[in-house]
Amino acid sequence: MSDVAVISTFHSDEECAQGILALHDARIHEFRAFFPFPSEKIMEAVDHVRAWGRSPVRYWQLFGGITGVLTAIAITFGTSWEWNLNVGGRPIISVPPYIIIMFELLILIGGLSGLTGFFVHNRMPVFDLFPGYRSRFSEDKFGLVVQCEESAAAKVESVLRDAGAEDITREILEAATGHH
Amino acid sequence: MAAAVETNLQPRYIDVDRQVQRAMAPGGLTYWLWVLFCAFLTALGIGFWTNQVYKGLGVTGLTEPTMWAPYITNFVFWVGIAHSGTLISAILFLFRVRWRTAIYRCAETMTVFAVATAGLFPLIHLGRLWFFYFVVPYPNERYLQPDFRSPLVWDFFAIGTYLTISTVFLFTGLIPDCANAREFATGWRKTLYSIFSFGWQGTDRQWRNFQMVYLLLAGFATPLVLSVHSVVSWDFAMTQLPGWHSTIFAPYFVAGAIFSGCGLVLTLIIPIRKFWRLQEMVTIWHLDNLSKIVLFTSLIITYSYCVESFMVWYSQDSLEMTTFHQRYFGPQGYLFWIMVACNCVIPLLLFSPRVRTNTVWLFIISIFVNIGMWLERFVIIAGSLATNTMPSQWRFYTPQVTEVVITVASFGWFLMNFSLFAKFMPIVSMTEMKEGISWLRQAVRTSYPYRKAA
Repeated sequence: MSDVAVISTFHSDEECAQGILALHDARIHEFRAFFPFPSEKIMEAVDHVRAWGRSPVRYWQLFGGITGVLTAIAITFGTSWEWNLNVGGRPIISVPPYIIIMFELLILIGGLSGLTGFFVHNRMPVFDLFPGYRSRFSEDKFGLVVQCEESAAAKVESVLRDAGAEDITREILEAATGHH
Repeated sequence: MAAAVETNLQPRYIDVDRQVQRAMAPGGLTYWLWVLFCAFLTALGIGFWTNQVYKGLGVTGLTEPTMWAPYITNFVFWVGIAHSGTLISAILFLFRVRWRTAIYRCAETMTVFAVATAGLFPLIHLGRLWFFYFVVPYPNERYLQPDFRSPLVWDFFAIGTYLTISTVFLFTGLIPDCANAREFATGWRKTLYSIFSFGWQGTDRQWRNFQMVYLLLAGFATPLVLSVHSVVSWDFAMTQLPGWHSTIFAPYFVAGAIFSGCGLVLTLIIPIRKFWRLQEMVTIWHLDNLSKIVLFTSLIITYSYCVESFMVWYSQDSLEMTTFHQRYFGPQGYLFWIMVACNCVIPLLLFSPRVRTNTVWLFIISIFVNIGMWLERFVIIAGSLATNTMPSQWRFYTPQVTEVVITVASFGWFLMNFSLFAKFMPIVSMTEMKEGISWLRQAVRTSYPYRKAA
C-alpha cells in the first residue's frame, strides 16, 4: 500500500495549533506544520508534541564565540611574543587592548558559526519542496501535512476536520520522498 | 459605514503581502530617474577620486595639520548612521518593542549600506590605494606584527565585524520574506528570491531554528553596536590632541550615532511610505515613536556638549581652552553654532505632538539632523586638528572641489544602493508584520490619539 500526504489548510494559527494537539491525542506523530510567521501558539503546540527543547543552534553560537576568543588570544599574545621587543617599558603582553580584539572575534566567529548551525540543522539550502507544501503556507494560510498509509488517511482527515481544517486534500507520495 | 470601518481595522495576512508586493512592483520613470541621478553622482565621485589617485592628495585641501578632514569625517558620519539600524532591529527586538516591525528592515538596510559606504573612506583617504592592504593587520614581509594596542587596528576589527554581522542579520531576516516573495514573483525575480530564501518553506523545524539564530544574532549585535562607535571614538580619544583626548567620547559618539541614524531613517522612510503607498504599514504612530528617539538622543548630545565644555573649563588646561575657544569663536566657529542649532535647538520642536505627527515637519527636521551630525564630526575632527599643540602649525582646513564632490557622491552611492535594494527586496518585513497583526489592529483601533491629525 502506498503512502499519502494528507494536506490540511487552516485559517488561523489557533486552529492549526489545535490540529497539532488533536493529531497528538490521536497518536499521529508523522506530521509537518507550515506557517507564514513564527506563531507562538503553533510553536507551543509543536514543543508540547515533539518535546524538542531549545534549538541546538545555540551550541554552534557558543562554541563559535569561544573559538573567536581563543583565536584572538592566539593572535594577540602570539604576535606579541613573536616580536618580543620592549618599547618604552610597556608590557610585552598588554591585556586590556587585546580584550577589544577578543570581543570582536567572539561576535564575528560566534555569529557566523550560529548562522552555519542554522543552515545545518534546517538542512538548507533545500532544493526540493517538501511533500504537501503549498505556496499559501508562506503567505496567509497554516498547513498541517500528515504522512501516512493510505488506509489510515480517512482517520487523519477526520481528526483534522474536527480540529477546524478548512480544506483537506490528499497527495500520493512516491517511495523516495517519504521523509520527515 | 461601520462595517467598512471595521473591515479596515481587521487587516488580513494577505493584505501585508499585497502592500509589500506593490512596493516591490517594477519601478516607474520617476524611480529610475532618481536611481540614474544617484548613479550620476556616484560616477562623478569616481571620476574625481580617479583624478585624486592619478595626481595625488595634493588636489584636495588636505594639508598639515588637518590631514584627516573631511574623508575621516565622512567615515565617522557613515559609521554613525549605521548604528540606529542595529538599535532598531536588534536592541528593540530584544526588548520586544512592537513598533519596530514596520521600519526595522529599512533601518537594517540603511545600516549595511552605510557601513559599506563608510568602509570606502579610509581607502579614498589613502593616497596610494594600491597599498590598501597595509591597513589589514597581518604579519607582513617586513616581519612587523600588527600593533594590537593601536585604536586603528581595533577599528579594523570593529568595522569588519560590524559589517559582517549586520549583513548576516539582514539576510537572515530576509529568508522567510524572500520565500514569501518567491511565491508571487515571476521570471528572474523568482530565481533571485529562490536563491535568497534557500528553499525556506516555514516548517516547524525551520521556524524553531530561525527564532533561535535570530535571537542570538540580536543578542550579539546589541553589545556590538555599542562597542563599534566606542572604538571609532577611541581613534580620537586615545590621542593627546586637545579637543579629542576626552573620556566622554565613547557614550557621546554612541548617542550621536543613534541620533543621526534615526534622523536618516526618517529621511528615508517618509518618502518611501508616500511614494510606495505604505502608509497603512508604516503609520504616523511609527514615525512618532522614532521621532521620540531622535528627541531623546538630541537631549543626550546636548548634555554631552555641555559636559565636554564644562570639563575643559574645569580643567583650566590652556591648550584645551584655546582649542575650544577656537571651536566656538574661531574662523570656523559658525560651523559649531550651525551644528548646535541643528542638533540641539531644532529637534526641540519634536516636543510638540503636532510636529511629530506631521511628515513634512519630520522630514525637514531629519534633514537638519543629518546636516548637524555631519558638521559635528567635521568640527571635532577638522577643528581640533587645525588647532593642535603647535600654534605655529595652526591652519584651518579649506575644502577643495575634489572632497566636496566625493562627499556628495557618497550620498549618491548610498542612496542608489538603498533605492535598488528597497525596490527589489521586501523593505517591510512581511513575517513580522503578520506576527504583530492582531496587535496592530488593536493599536489602530484604540491607542493612537493623533489619527485625525495624520
